[in-house]
Amino acid sequence: MTTAETALMDTPWIIWVVFGPVTGAIIAFLWPKRASLLGCFAALVTAGSVLLLVWHIAEFGPQRYLIGGWDAPLGINLYIDGLSATMLLTTALVGAGVTVYATAYFEQTTETDRFFWPLWLLLWAAMNALFLSADVFNLYVTLELVGLAAVALVALAGSRDALAGAMRYLLVSLLGSLTYLLGVALFYGDHGTLDIGLLGELVTPAPADWMATGLMVAGLLIKTALFPLHFWLPPAHAAAPAPVSALLSALVVKASFYLLLRLWLEVFFPGTTPNLGQLIGALGVLAILWGSLQAFCQTRLKLLIAYSTVAQLGYLFLAFPLASTPAATTAWNGTVLFILSHALAKTAMFLAAGNVLRAIGHDRMVDLARGATGLPLNWATFGIAAISIIGLPPSAGFTAKWLLLQASFASGQWWLVIPVAGGGLLAAGYMFKVLSLAFVQNQSSTAGTRIPKRMEWTALGFALGALAMGFLAPSVLDLLDRGAPFQTFSPGGVL
Amino acid sequence: MTPAILYAITGIGLFVLGVHALTRRAHLLNKIIALNIMGSGIFLVFGALAYRTPNGVSDPVPHAMVITGIVVAISATAVALTLMLRLQSKTGAAELPEQSPE
Amino acid sequence: MEAMIQPLGLALDGLLALTLLWLAWRVLASADLFKSIVFFIAFGLVMALIWVRLGAPDVALAEAAIGAGLTGALFLAALSRLRQGEEGMANGTHLRRANGLRFGAQAALIGLLIALFLALGFALLSLQNEAPGLSREVADMLPASGVSNPVTAVLLNFRAYDTLLEMGVLLLAVIAAWSLSAAPKEAVDAPGPVLGGFVRLLLPPMILVSSYLLWVGAYAPGGAFQAGAVLAAAAVLLLLSGRSPRASGWLGWPLRVILSLGLAVFIAIGLALTFAGRLFLDYPPDEAGNIILVIEVVATVSIGATLAALFAGGRPQQDKRE
Repeated sequence: MTTAETALMDTPWIIWVVFGPVTGAIIAFLWPKRASLLGCFAALVTAGSVLLLVWHIAEFGPQRYLIGGWDAPLGINLYIDGLSATMLLTTALVGAGVTVYATAYFEQTTETDRFFWPLWLLLWAAMNALFLSADVFNLYVTLELVGLAAVALVALAGSRDALAGAMRYLLVSLLGSLTYLLGVALFYGDHGTLDIGLLGELVTPAPADWMATGLMVAGLLIKTALFPLHFWLPPAHAAAPAPVSALLSALVVKASFYLLLRLWLEVFFPGTTPNLGQLIGALGVLAILWGSLQAFCQTRLKLLIAYSTVAQLGYLFLAFPLASTPAATTAWNGTVLFILSHALAKTAMFLAAGNVLRAIGHDRMVDLARGATGLPLNWATFGIAAISIIGLPPSAGFTAKWLLLQASFASGQWWLVIPVAGGGLLAAGYMFKVLSLAFVQNQSSTAGTRIPKRMEWTALGFALGALAMGFLAPSVLDLLDRGAPFQTFSPGGVL
Repeated sequence: MTPAILYAITGIGLFVLGVHALTRRAHLLNKIIALNIMGSGIFLVFGALAYRTPNGVSDPVPHAMVITGIVVAISATAVALTLMLRLQSKTGAAELPEQSPE
Repeated sequence: MEAMIQPLGLALDGLLALTLLWLAWRVLASADLFKSIVFFIAFGLVMALIWVRLGAPDVALAEAAIGAGLTGALFLAALSRLRQGEEGMANGTHLRRANGLRFGAQAALIGLLIALFLALGFALLSLQNEAPGLSREVADMLPASGVSNPVTAVLLNFRAYDTLLEMGVLLLAVIAAWSLSAAPKEAVDAPGPVLGGFVRLLLPPMILVSSYLLWVGAYAPGGAFQAGAVLAAAAVLLLLSGRSPRASGWLGWPLRVILSLGLAVFIAIGLALTFAGRLFLDYPPDEAGNIILVIEVVATVSIGATLAALFAGGRPQQDKRE
């Protein structure tokens, strides 16, 4: 091996994916006039580090990193397997694209717009830290970092709606993380360790563990906006600046979901979770119904997309009732693939909506048809992203739903077929409501503000990516299997 | 009852009182104070359970976590207060506007 | 003798616990915001006493300085700014209203919370009466940590990663606050010679106390966060006495550097160790004490500046420059 190769192998990329963006954030904060350029550079370094780390995992399997050289339970460990790698990769894909979009979106910088860069880089770092940490208290700190950065990004829009949305989001987010933290206190009091792996070996169906599980699940469900705890999401996601809406819907809610999934797989006692799993699955079904219905009733484009997020998040919870069946791995594979496909498609939609908003100056759907003819690329973006959201082949949305269907057949949980298939029809309903606008012939077409090409092409790129991801699904599932994150339940052992 | 359990239950009491005020009080300053009381309650649970060591010297790990928690709490409080003031200057009230009916 | 002290101690603990709950009730139920805040500060002080009872003097210091003192100051400043804002729009849309929960929903909420309290209480009672936690592991490794105060060892060595991220939270809070608003221009009441002179008298001993807390943290209760809080308190006093260095060159990049230095140095040390073939933040045992001291000194300055900047409530108004 050459020295360059050795250096590449020995560099702890697992550290760089967190502290690359933090360093970028500090420099962007110190030098606000160059924030945008520095932000791009930091994004490049971060995405590069993620790719190298993921490649390492794909090649050599899962990795544990002892920070400070102290092993758990005394120290904090990082752990990366296929699941964390897939989350890192999703974040890097969306993050890199949104960074490009944001350079154009925030081009006419005001003094406050420049804060986008340090805030976004800190958010990225915090999410990466969350995907890597194996320590439940350290995870609390990352949750707070993610929450505070996300709230500040929403408020950047500065409008009355954005400030109110951000305020509600902050209060709910703090309620969620504090509830989670109380669960951590109980777990530590009971077992004297904070390490996910060690806790998993010690947790029993005792009252304290049961309460700790309940609190942590509740806290994370609030943060993930599962129906009926979703009320804070649409106003915040809709009122934020377009790149921020994309980041929130595509990534931030998935971060707390990832944590829930990780703890569910490794910590929470299998014996206490089946009933809870059924409940969560039922709430997921209600989320799909209620979110779709609300999306259909919205009169503003960004709110419609935000309610679609509420509905689509419901799908992530359908696998929980299957968690203790032999079909669990298939169901979880479908869930994670769904995260990836929804992230890409929803980013495309929010970015396209941002373009429409920028061009026409509002997003009231009744009046949208007027300006629609001037923005063919954006409607194409919308249409292609809709294919993935509805779940038609060859999109990754289709593959994800197909896996969920397979799992529900295999485990005999037939009732799940209805929401999985029906949700697609509902999505088709509200998506066609948007797309029909594009085909309304309207003579009073006004040429809106010109929008930078970069903004249109990034949005389209994400839509095409969501479509193409269907072909890449096997490689994603292959990466996901590194370290066998879903094998922790002995098949059929609990039933 | 040992002092550890006594204080831990007190902590739970603070948490529950805080949740109640968070949902009941309309003024944002009240809500932010309520979140701080909830946090203090959780820290007390950490500290009380750390007091159960057999040799009488408390477990230092929860103490470190509580110090971290206190700093996180003041950071979040400061952001929340700034946001509250900004909202007031925009809407005229330090309360959340009625959410449009779903 | 032992048998006598035990119930006495428990009675004191019971009294403290009841006082704390009563204060919390007054904080949360009081209709007057100013009273709420005053009770909140009293609550923090009782909390600090309880931390002493629980054998956690480090936490007691942090709670008194940050939890009660600075948080209370933040609340008071916010309240006075709220009042100024209200005066500015006396005829504005003022929507004071009670929270719109119906009686049924209220009763359900209270029922739910009582059930939560009972369930959690039951869970706590089911725990072992004795549990060592990680105290043994910490004691075993303490000699290798570079400091002899176990809490400092956990904060800056065993779980230094938490502390590093926490420095990130502090910087994030400043950036968030700055992105939200410019620092409000306070109604400039002339500070009066008394307050001004008082502050001038108070500053040197405060800086001394801060340095002492920082130094002593290695082997006794104290450390960067407590020391930083005292520094911040000194800066807050300066701001209150109208001596804010407004318009001076300090508020541009030098302030930004001071704010981010703690985090930057911490990361730089961690990364430097990885280039030296060690793990991230894996201090060589012989150098651990010195490395921790360096990190703590820089962190103290950053923490003090950060907390003071958060008190100022927004980004510095750049009067003429830029």
